[in-house]
Amino acid sequence: MTAFDLQAILPELLLAVFAMFALLAAVYTGKDKATPLVTWATAGVMLALALFIGLGEAVNGRAFGGLLFEDAYGRFAQVGILVAAAAVLLAGQDTLVRRGLGRFEYPLLIALATVGMMIMVSAGDLMTLYMGLELQSLALYVVAAMRRDGVKSTEAGMKYFILGALSSGLLLYGASLTYGYAGTTGFDGILAAASGGEMGLGLLFGLTFVVAGLAFKVSAVPFHMWTPDVYEGAPTPVTAFFATAPKLAAMALFGRVLFDAFGQAVGDWSQIIALMAVLSMFLGAVAAIGQRDIKRLMAYSSISHMGFALIGLAAGSQYGVQAMLVYMAIYLTMNVGTFAFIMSMERDGKPVTEIAALHQYAKGEPVKALAMLVLLFSLAGVPPMVGFFGKLYVLGAAVQADMTLLAVAGVVASVIGAFYYLRIVYYMYFGEAEERVETPMSPAAWVMLMGAAAAMLLGVINLFGVEGAAAQAAAALVN
Amino acid sequence: MGDGGVFLFVIALLPFIGALVPGVMIRAGRNACATFTAVPTALALILLMLLAPAVLRGEVIEAELVWLPQLGLSASFFLDGLGLLFAAMILGVGLLITLYARFYLSGDDPMGQFYTYLLLFQGAMLGIVLSNNILLLLIFWELTSLSSFLLIGYWKHLPEGRRGARMALAVTGGGGLAMIGGMLILGNIAGSYNLTDILASGEAIRASEWYLPALILILIGAFTKSAQFPFHFWLPHAMAAPTPVSAYLHSATMVKAGVFLLARMWPALAGTDAWFYLVATTGLVTMVIGAVIALFKDDLKALLAFSTVSHLGLLTMLLGFGTPAAAVAAVFHVINHLTFKAALFMIAGIVDHETHTRDIKRLGGLARLMPVTAVIGTVAALSMAGIPLFNGFVSKEMMLEEAAHTAWFENPWIVPALATLGALFSVAYSFRFIVHVFGGPVRDDYPRQPHDPPAGMYLAPALLAVIVVLIGVMPFLAEPVVAAAVSAVTGTEMSPYLKLWHGLTPALWLSIIAVLGGAVLLWLHRPLARAWDAAPRPEAKAIFDAIMGAAVRLSRMISETLHDGVLSRYLAIMVAASVALGAIAWSGGGLAAPTRTPLPVPPVVAVGWVLLIVATASVVITHRHRFQSLVIISIIGLMISVGFVYLSAPDLALTQISVETVTIILLLLALHFLPKQTPVESSPARRLRDGLLALAAGGGVGAVAYAFLLRDVDAISDYHLANSYEGGGGTNVVNVILVDFRGFDTYGEIIVLGIAGFVIYALTEALLNGTASRRLRQIEYEPDRSRDRHPLMMVIATRVMMPIAVVVGVYIFLRGHNQPGGGFVAGLVISIALLMQYMASGFAWAQARRKFEYHSLIGSGVVIAGLTGAGAWLAGKPFLTSAFGYVHFPPIEEFELATAMLFDLGVFLAVLGAVMLMLHSLSRLARHAGETVNLEPMDFDPRTRAEAEADGKGG
Repeated sequence: MTAFDLQAILPELLLAVFAMFALLAAVYTGKDKATPLVTWATAGVMLALALFIGLGEAVNGRAFGGLLFEDAYGRFAQVGILVAAAAVLLAGQDTLVRRGLGRFEYPLLIALATVGMMIMVSAGDLMTLYMGLELQSLALYVVAAMRRDGVKSTEAGMKYFILGALSSGLLLYGASLTYGYAGTTGFDGILAAASGGEMGLGLLFGLTFVVAGLAFKVSAVPFHMWTPDVYEGAPTPVTAFFATAPKLAAMALFGRVLFDAFGQAVGDWSQIIALMAVLSMFLGAVAAIGQRDIKRLMAYSSISHMGFALIGLAAGSQYGVQAMLVYMAIYLTMNVGTFAFIMSMERDGKPVTEIAALHQYAKGEPVKALAMLVLLFSLAGVPPMVGFFGKLYVLGAAVQADMTLLAVAGVVASVIGAFYYLRIVYYMYFGEAEERVETPMSPAAWVMLMGAAAAMLLGVINLFGVEGAAAQAAAALVN
Repeated sequence: MGDGGVFLFVIALLPFIGALVPGVMIRAGRNACATFTAVPTALALILLMLLAPAVLRGEVIEAELVWLPQLGLSASFFLDGLGLLFAAMILGVGLLITLYARFYLSGDDPMGQFYTYLLLFQGAMLGIVLSNNILLLLIFWELTSLSSFLLIGYWKHLPEGRRGARMALAVTGGGGLAMIGGMLILGNIAGSYNLTDILASGEAIRASEWYLPALILILIGAFTKSAQFPFHFWLPHAMAAPTPVSAYLHSATMVKAGVFLLARMWPALAGTDAWFYLVATTGLVTMVIGAVIALFKDDLKALLAFSTVSHLGLLTMLLGFGTPAAAVAAVFHVINHLTFKAALFMIAGIVDHETHTRDIKRLGGLARLMPVTAVIGTVAALSMAGIPLFNGFVSKEMMLEEAAHTAWFENPWIVPALATLGALFSVAYSFRFIVHVFGGPVRDDYPRQPHDPPAGMYLAPALLAVIVVLIGVMPFLAEPVVAAAVSAVTGTEMSPYLKLWHGLTPALWLSIIAVLGGAVLLWLHRPLARAWDAAPRPEAKAIFDAIMGAAVRLSRMISETLHDGVLSRYLAIMVAASVALGAIAWSGGGLAAPTRTPLPVPPVVAVGWVLLIVATASVVITHRHRFQSLVIISIIGLMISVGFVYLSAPDLALTQISVETVTIILLLLALHFLPKQTPVESSPARRLRDGLLALAAGGGVGAVAYAFLLRDVDAISDYHLANSYEGGGGTNVVNVILVDFRGFDTYGEIIVLGIAGFVIYALTEALLNGTASRRLRQIEYEPDRSRDRHPLMMVIATRVMMPIAVVVGVYIFLRGHNQPGGGFVAGLVISIALLMQYMASGFAWAQARRKFEYHSLIGSGVVIAGLTGAGAWLAGKPFLTSAFGYVHFPPIEEFELATAMLFDLGVFLAVLGAVMLMLHSLSRLARHAGETVNLEPMDFDPRTRAEAEADGKGG
């Protein structure tokens, strides 16, 4: 292990060591009483690492003989993952305790999942990819079923596990075919094997099944089946986590594999990704219209959003990757804010998730309602909210890549999708008079909600500079 | 950027800055609030007027700030004649509305909020007409939808206001989103998102293959915004908004945004057949339908709303004609419609305000009670009807003139006829507005006794009425503005000639027909209205609601069939999708011709194959009987092992067979505590589906494997074969891979195996303290099971076997590096020996005789393997590098020692410990389930019996 190897893996290492140390410390001290402390400490460590990665000296290269890639692309995704994970942890902390789920293992499982995600996005080898993916998935299987006495939560965890195992199997099948025909699991080697005109059928099969496995992780249609059930079944703070960091990680990993390992065969995967994008956008948009449960609605919403992000990848260009990254960054912010609100919804101390509960919400809570209005409009991609810029980016990338039909499909899907976000706004502002929902929020959750909403408005100025960082990251990946 | 440019930025920004003020100013009073709304508007208007002379001279003022260049978005504005016209209208009417609203809104309404929204909206509208970047235009476009949503929903206590707001937003917002696509395509064709560049590349755009999609997407945006058929239904429903909003948004500004866009894009998009048939036809249909419906509306504002729809249709139609003369008429009518319609809305608001009703049936005779209002209203309505001396007449004449010589699908009369019909109904409803509201006798049943409002309220409409007459009498006054605007629309220098009297043209005759017909229609209004009410007709709102309802039902159907919560369906979809993906990949890639010939199939192998297939099928058939299927599974495992032997992979065979044995035994023991049968839960149809899917997936994988086996490929195995002996010191490649090439993996695996053992142990512990414990105690064993559970023969046999098995294990362990075997297999072999021992003599008895804690066995295994690996560091090599050498102890022959062997020892210990710990866990469960503990090795011990007999003899 060289000094560079250590430097490349240091953030992951620190977080993993922290998680294990904190686990032992909590077991031997206060157990669940230590939960708030552990949560804040975990979030603190994550944010510190995000700062460290984001502001630290940028060194690029291959670590561990190509097992890990250290580049701007990985750093961009890692910062996003860390910040999103920390934000969701803080926003959900109070809710979890109030719902009697304040277990100290939760933040640590999230930390371990985060380690997995950080490895995923900087993987340079199918081995590291799989290791990161499984570390993430195993932690997520557990948190999905965290409410062990709830039938829905356990069922959700079970389904997620079984379907996840199947998708892992697909991915491994693809990975072993790739290994067999490229003779290596390293991305550089695969890239070399896949270049030079015609890609062999063996590699093509490998690519196909790796894509299928990854599609499951980003919940792209038709591998999305788990999403609504898991979103609905898992405790809301956990759902919030599912909707944010892992999505970025999986999407970034998708980009990593497609470009770093199969970048010479854009023509072979571009159409498949485009097909998935279209299916995801439409299914997400259409199926969300009929939902009565806001968590299920957000599940379909995220399916649809992943479709849009996939457009960026399908474009197969540097600009497309940049668009995908910008889109994901915006998506994360919107979802953190929206879920900070959703997880606070309750009536008589019991969580409520029906959309109908939001009737006339604006009358009692004008400020929060306004924040939600901004976030929902942003999710719908209505200008001038920042969500629109994300859509513009990916659609622009598609048009530039001469995939105009894909862009038109995206536009149509966004029109359909806008309908259900507007419905929520309509309920909040003009609904029938009914028993209103209460939304007690911890200061942290309130800050997340308001911060996200403010970001959706203020971001129009320069997107907080994400654009430039995404451009660098995309350049690092594609070139 | 000159001074003009700076002015332009200031104009665009002023409303937004101003919007911050009224919201916080409300405590200072209504007057202060209104004043602070008027100030930014007035300032902007003054700045605009300063720029106006230059624009009228034909200059274009531009200003640009870089915003998000990567996205193609820049804060870029320009002011030409068209922009000037619209900006002046927006600001001018905005000023009048501010004044009007000050008096119209009651003290209870949150006025600060209202003015904030109003200014926001004004800013957005200004942005649309000034943008020089189509993406920027899009942003402002949707911002108007948003702020209008807030304005329409301003009176939240009215239920129809709520529905109206939602529908307006759903329709116009959606249309705006659709426009994004069109704009992106235009930008891509033109290579720039700058409006001036796009307008300059009209040729390329019209020639592009993507012209039609772009046109349709942009038209959807424009038509939804300007309430064109079939999207017209939202506008009347938005009328629940307070009247100042209706006057501003729904007559003067927002609904004109669509028309503005059509005019703006005219140089780039107009002039094709597609443009003509899409735009002109839509406009014509909308004009007629709107006019007809307007006549039969009793609500004053609804009448005006449909009249607005009709006039917007007229404008759209004119732009759709695509001729410069029609464009002149359109631009001129924009001005005229603005003046009379805004005045009419304000009058309607005054009537509502004073009488507390807008129902025409309850009104009439107001001329005597509200003379000022009546005069203004009549002037505006006559202009709407197109009566000479009022401005509506001039532009209507021009419209009819254009319509008169336009052929539609080579049909010369349909356009003029329909246009005249529209004008005719337009006259009728305008007259109705005058006659039924102001005319007739004074009634005594008004909800509130009406009288003229304060001057502040009628000042604004009065001003507009003056303009109506001024332009009506002297149309040439508007010439410079119209000229500048039309030049901007058509992109060529134009100097239109506006005059009142054109001579006895066909248009005049058509106009006369319209006026006379309109008067007759009004005379017949009562019976006609009855017939209209009785006649069945499609109600656009009902259709909209039905479509929405159907969409929700469709959506529910999709989500409920697709995501019904049944895992097997999810799995089926995933597997089907994977098969489909595989098929796509198969069809896409070129498969080279086979380079190998298949091996011959001797009868023995064929029998093995058949056995394997039959066993597999049997598992599927008998899977509900768990014990049976487990036994059959073991046959499959056995056949696979045999297959490995046949295919010269003895090492794999050895591993397979030992793993198979251990797992089957453990599973058998575990099944003991579970139901013996699986319940039937699936329908035959589902089983059929799953069967087909399974065949497809299995067949696919098989086909892929077969295809690849027939072809020579560079595979990784060559490397291993070449380096196994030289690098790893072993001739058994599989073992060398395990302990050397992939030693790290193996090290991880034994850790995982150990953890699995511990987890099973811990879970058992948890289970025994939980509810499962009660269920375990209730297990009832079948009465016919053997009472001799530890038979003599078995005990003796396993005792004899034990040392042999251990020796075999050691042998396999030692030869592992060069011959089939190794630590893993050895561990399993010895595990099996111990397992048999435990099964034969009972767990407790055996347990009492074991020498090692299984936990520490696992731990020491991992530690030994780890230390071995770390030992390589001492030699300065990476972790787990193995070293080997040859040792010669006389009298034994020379043999090889490799550090890998030490590593293998760790593997051996960990495997043994893990298996035994699992067994231990199972036995704990068994004891909990009421299994008796035997302290003797066998149930029937001949020795003890002999002793007992001896005792008996003795006693």
